[in-house]
Formats: sequence, C-alpha cells, structure tokens
Amino acid sequence: MLEKFMNMDRRIIFILVALVVIIPTLIPVRLPITVSEPTQKLYDFIEELPSGSTIMMAFDYGPSSLAEPEPMAKAVMQHCFSKGVRVIGMTLYPNTPTLADKLMRKIADENNAVYGQDYVFLGYRPGTLPVILGMGTNIANVFETDYAKTPITEIPIMENITNYDQIDLLLDLSAGSLTEAWIIYANTRYGLKIAAGVTAVIIAQMYPYLQSGQLVGMLPGYLGAAQYEKLLNAPGDGTVGLNTASFAHLLIIVLVILGNVAFFIRQEREA
Amino acid sequence: MKRQVPLALCFLFGIAMILTQFSPHSYSQAVYREVIVWGLIISPFALVLAVATLAQTHVSRIRFRSEHWQYSIVVFVGMITMVCVGVPFGPKNSVFEWLYDNVQVPMDATMFSLLAFFIASAAFRAFRARAFEATLLLIAAMIVMLGNVPVGDLFWNKLLSLIPGSDNPESWVNSFADGASRFRQWILDIPNGAARRGIILGVSLGVISQSIRIILGIERSYLGGGD
Repeated sequence: MLEKFMNMDRRIIFILVALVVIIPTLIPVRLPITVSEPTQKLYDFIEELPSGSTIMMAFDYGPSSLAEPEPMAKAVMQHCFSKGVRVIGMTLYPNTPTLADKLMRKIADENNAVYGQDYVFLGYRPGTLPVILGMGTNIANVFETDYAKTPITEIPIMENITNYDQIDLLLDLSAGSLTEAWIIYANTRYGLKIAAGVTAVIIAQMYPYLQSGQLVGMLPGYLGAAQYEKLLNAPGDGTVGLNTASFAHLLIIVLVILGNVAFFIRQEREA
Repeated sequence: MKRQVPLALCFLFGIAMILTQFSPHSYSQAVYREVIVWGLIISPFALVLAVATLAQTHVSRIRFRSEHWQYSIVVFVGMITMVCVGVPFGPKNSVFEWLYDNVQVPMDATMFSLLAFFIASAAFRAFRARAFEATLLLIAAMIVMLGNVPVGDLFWNKLLSLIPGSDNPESWVNSFADGASRFRQWILDIPNGAARRGIILGVSLGVISQSIRIILGIERSYLGGGD
C-alpha cells in the first residue's frame, strides 16, 4: 500500500494540479491580501510623483512568462494614467514588442490615455548593454522611431526627454536577470531610479538590491500584482492569479508532506 | 596576425572604457558615447550570427537524419513563414500579429505552464528530508511558499484564533498575526539576503579578475581555437 502510494502514477498528480488551477479560476475566492513593504514602497513612489512625470517601463519578459508580469503592468499603468504620469514602454526581448504594444494600447484605451501624449511604445533594439547605456546618453540614438515607425522627434511625449535625466523611474517587468543589468548599468552609471516587477522565481535575487536602496520598490510575482491591485482598490488579473497560485502552492505543500510522511514510515519499517 | 589584432583591439578598448569611467573630461565622455553607438551598430550582427548558427545546426540535423530530424523542418517552416510575413510588411501587419497571438504566445505559454505539473510531481517524489540540510531547505521552502500566497496567513491567523484570549485586540497573541508572510519576509531579508550578497560579491570579483585577464590578453579562449 505504502509502496503503491509512493510510486503513485504521476498522471494522478497532473490531474490534481489541473483541478487546483481550473477550479479557483472558474470560481474565484476572495482571499485576504497583506501588502508587503516592497510593493508599498513602489506604490508610494508613484503616488508621490507629480502629474506630468515620466516613468519608463521595460517589458523584459516573453510570452512564456506573461502570466505574472502582465497584471503588474496593468496595475501600474492604471495607477500612472490616473495620476497623469506619462509612460514610455520598451523591451529588451526580441519576441515581446507585439505583446507589449497591444498591452499598452489596451490599458491606455481602458483609461482614456492618448498615444504619443500620455504614453508611447518604443519597441525593441538588439544588444542589452549598449541599449541600456545608450539611452543614458541619448534615447534618440537608440530609438530613432517608436514601434509604429514614427520618428520620436515627432512624438509629443518625447519632446523634452533626452536621456535618463528626464525619467523619474524605470520599472523593469522581468522574467529573468535583466533587472540586475538595469541596476548595474542604468542605476549605478546614470543614477536612474529603478523598481522591479519580477516573476516569483526571481524574487530572492532582488532582496540585496532592495536593502541597498538600488531598487526603490518591487512587485514580487502574482503576490505583488495582487497587492498593487489592492492598493488601487481595483482587483484584477493579479488577484485572480494569486487565488489560483494559492491552491497550487497548497497542493504542492500537501504533496511534499505526504511524500515525506510515507518516506519516514518506510524508513521506520525497514529499520 | 589573426590573433594579435583582436588582442590589441581588446586591450585598447578595454583600457579606454575603464578610463572613461573615471574621467569626466569632455574628450573622455565623447569617446564613451561614440563607443556606445558602435556597440549599438554591432549588436544586430549577433542576431544574424544566431540565425546562421540555428540554420546550420538544423540543416545538418536534416541532412544526417538525426533523431527527431523532422522537427528541424518545423523550425524552418516557422522561421521562414514569420520572416516572409514580418520583414516585408512589418510586425504590425495583421497576419504577423495573428500568427504571433495564435501560435507563438499559446505555444510559449503552454511550454512554461507544463512546469507546474512537473514541479508538483517532482516535489512529491524527490523533496525528502533525508539530511539536516535537506530538512532546513524543505522547511524554508514551505514557509516561503506559504508566505507567498494569502492562504498561509489565513491558516496561521485561524490557528492563532484558537488560542484562548486571541479575541482581545491587545492580547500578545495578536502580535504574531500574519506569521506566514512575516516569517517568509524574514527568510528573504536575512538568510537569503546574506547568501545572495555573498554570491554577488563573489561573482563580481570573478568578473573583475576575468575582465582584467581578457584585457591583458592572458585569457584568450574567446578567440576560439586555431591560429
């Protein structure tokens, strides 16, 4: 019986995972969310920006990991547009421009933001470090046009923006280690203030930078998106995703406990 | 000659870029800006190289009928289709967008989503408290997982509410509220922060020493083999 349990057909586990993902998605459960300090710091930073400020959002994630950063992007953009903070989007991922462009337009439409005045999407340029460093001296040297091929000299939002000196914050929405590149090259070299919205697997890497003040705030995975939505009082995809993740986490914890209990019982018997 | 020229260029640009970091002089900063622009020009060639390498790998797989060589045909079909649509009509073309939204995004998302299934199965089979270190790792992982989702605090607070006197707001019990997320935060802030900082310092020192070796021409493996 014990051996049978320990060698359980993995398809049973797959079915359990599918169930704990599907059911909470279809039947949303409202769980209490406590706002963590890194999320609160980012919210407060944007909240204190005067109308007309500019933030840059780097969409450094691909379609494979969009589930976590997208709700973050939605929440932060919603906050920015409601406060009159302008948003410049760009990406260091070659397969993200279409995704990011559509997302920005969708959120902008929902918040009555105007392309070129309230926000712009610059697109992608190859070469991570030259792009980060190049924008520090002159953004127009790196992005001569936006994603729609309009020269950036003709885009109103870019009129008074030359380099990072005119950007109040860079929010890197990342599914990899690019946030560290932004910190090392844009923050250290040019003093650009940086915040991160990262997938859950990256969170642990970011803590030294939060403690040193090189990150002004951070959205940690689904939790960060849900916390930001709570601060905005606008539950969205982050809250739904967090509920689903909650049950998936619980299942994994239960499986680990059961696996260990069975392991110790077997060891006891063998001894 | 084939080796001396790259070594000399590497030394020259390496030293020049180090100096620009320490000199605010206008000439120095002009050099820095110019080199950044050169970097921007050179970067796209890496993409060309990547495409060439990809093509080379898959052509040889098809030619030699390696295992699963049929998938290499799929690679070419996908690549050629996207290039034929994307290059002449641009990425905002409706066909390109349709292919991106309905082929690339779902396929990428599906591949990544499979991880959840495999992680659950692997956690059940392999995550065992076999030794003291493994037990520590297991406990820390479970606390961080619980603290990462609201269910952790929900359970913790429910447990606290079972302690007599917890309904009194001034009770000592309530100072332990939201224990899952607070303990997770402590793990991330203190043990994780300390370990990560150590790794960052070690990696940084390694990068500095390796950079010096490359600039001085001691480390030459980036040049590849042969003369």
